[in-house]
Amino acid sequence: MYCRAMPHDSDEIHAHSLLPTEPELRVKALETILESKGLIDRKAVDAIIDMYENKIGPRIGATVIAKAWCDKYFKKKLVNNTKGILADLGFCGRQGEHIVVVENTPDCHNLVVCTLCSCYPWPLLGVPPAWYKSDSYRSRAVKEPRSILREFGLIVGKKTKIRVWDSTAEIRYLVLPMQPKSSFGIVEKDLVSWVTRNSMIGTGLPEDPAARL
Amino acid sequence: MNSYRQKKPWHDLGGEKSGPVRPDQTDEPVFEKSWHKRVLGLTVAAGAMGVWSIDSSRFWRERLPKSDYQTFTYYEKWLAALTNLFVFKGLVTEEEVLKRNFDGPKQLLDSRVLRASEVPRMLASGSKTSRKSKQTPRFSIGDPVRTKKQKETLLRPFGHTRLPCYAADKFGTILFCHGNHVLPNSNAHFLGELPEPLYSVEFMATDLWPEDNLGLEDTVIVDCWESYLLSAND
Repeated sequence: MYCRAMPHDSDEIHAHSLLPTEPELRVKALETILESKGLIDRKAVDAIIDMYENKIGPRIGATVIAKAWCDKYFKKKLVNNTKGILADLGFCGRQGEHIVVVENTPDCHNLVVCTLCSCYPWPLLGVPPAWYKSDSYRSRAVKEPRSILREFGLIVGKKTKIRVWDSTAEIRYLVLPMQPKSSFGIVEKDLVSWVTRNSMIGTGLPEDPAARL
Repeated sequence: MNSYRQKKPWHDLGGEKSGPVRPDQTDEPVFEKSWHKRVLGLTVAAGAMGVWSIDSSRFWRERLPKSDYQTFTYYEKWLAALTNLFVFKGLVTEEEVLKRNFDGPKQLLDSRVLRASEVPRMLASGSKTSRKSKQTPRFSIGDPVRTKKQKETLLRPFGHTRLPCYAADKFGTILFCHGNHVLPNSNAHFLGELPEPLYSVEFMATDLWPEDNLGLEDTVIVDCWESYLLSAND
């Protein structure tokens, strides 16, 4: 099942890079056992992967933010609403059953973390990025958010309060970033691409998509 | 303080010292390796069978042996917890896991198994943890509260809780009331849902870490079930 390249193989590095890793073999073994025992439908597993790889991602969250920037009535209903307004609008789903939107203002910057595991608003942002799941982020965000933000290139002035949301329960937090002045007047559908994933977690700001190229 | 810190669970990282965070590049793939996808897909599909809850999944990941928890990569933890849960619930045997094989004839699909056609609906509907209950919340928005010690929230020795150590035995203020939600401390151990009021509690950073946050108004918000909380005056 697992063979090591001999130390004197001339092609050692290449041979190693082609070998499956141990966890890769273990997941294959588990999947085979579950399939043989009728405990998994492989096509369902494929369908789940396809959804998270290709369909559910930060663009969904960005659509909500762009709408909030353009529609004051929608924004008023959205912010600090703990009654599941997003579910009523169809922006809900697994690992985002209870979403609360928190608004950045000149006086308050919001940052989201999960110190115990990696809770994250999946239906709006997709699978969390590696840094969100890292020990460093989980350890430090609650105690030294300003240092963390500096590592993301974001300096928050001392007069601006930082609220760190440790999403330990099934309530998931989405940050509503401030709309950049340079984007005022742009139509809603074009604003979507200004909203970066990190701006909805609190580790970034919205950006002009043209400047990203 | 020190003896308490030593008993802190190893997954409970909030407030620990650690190295710099490495922000990703925007074109980074959703899954770094192809087996990561399989682990995620299997975990979500297995969860949809309804044999265990998200609380049990989390508990089994968080309670991996310390050396495994600290050396496994993210999806290795998921894989280990998933395998252990299948064995714990008697659906797969330890022998099958060790042999990496099931010898018997191929079995028919269990009726609880999630089918491909059900995936979009399952992912869209999720599984709410809010429950209708007649229990009236004891606290209101703005009330001063104190969190219990982490150990006092456990329903079993070394059991499951969502109260992080850094926010235990601290004073805070009720910011939101979310209604009644399933209590993970019970549900993770298959002891029933026992829903109770859930609150977002805001703590001043100066109260959590007095030595590091002088003069700043920064706060940390933690979601706390009612049984984690005492009135500030108790």
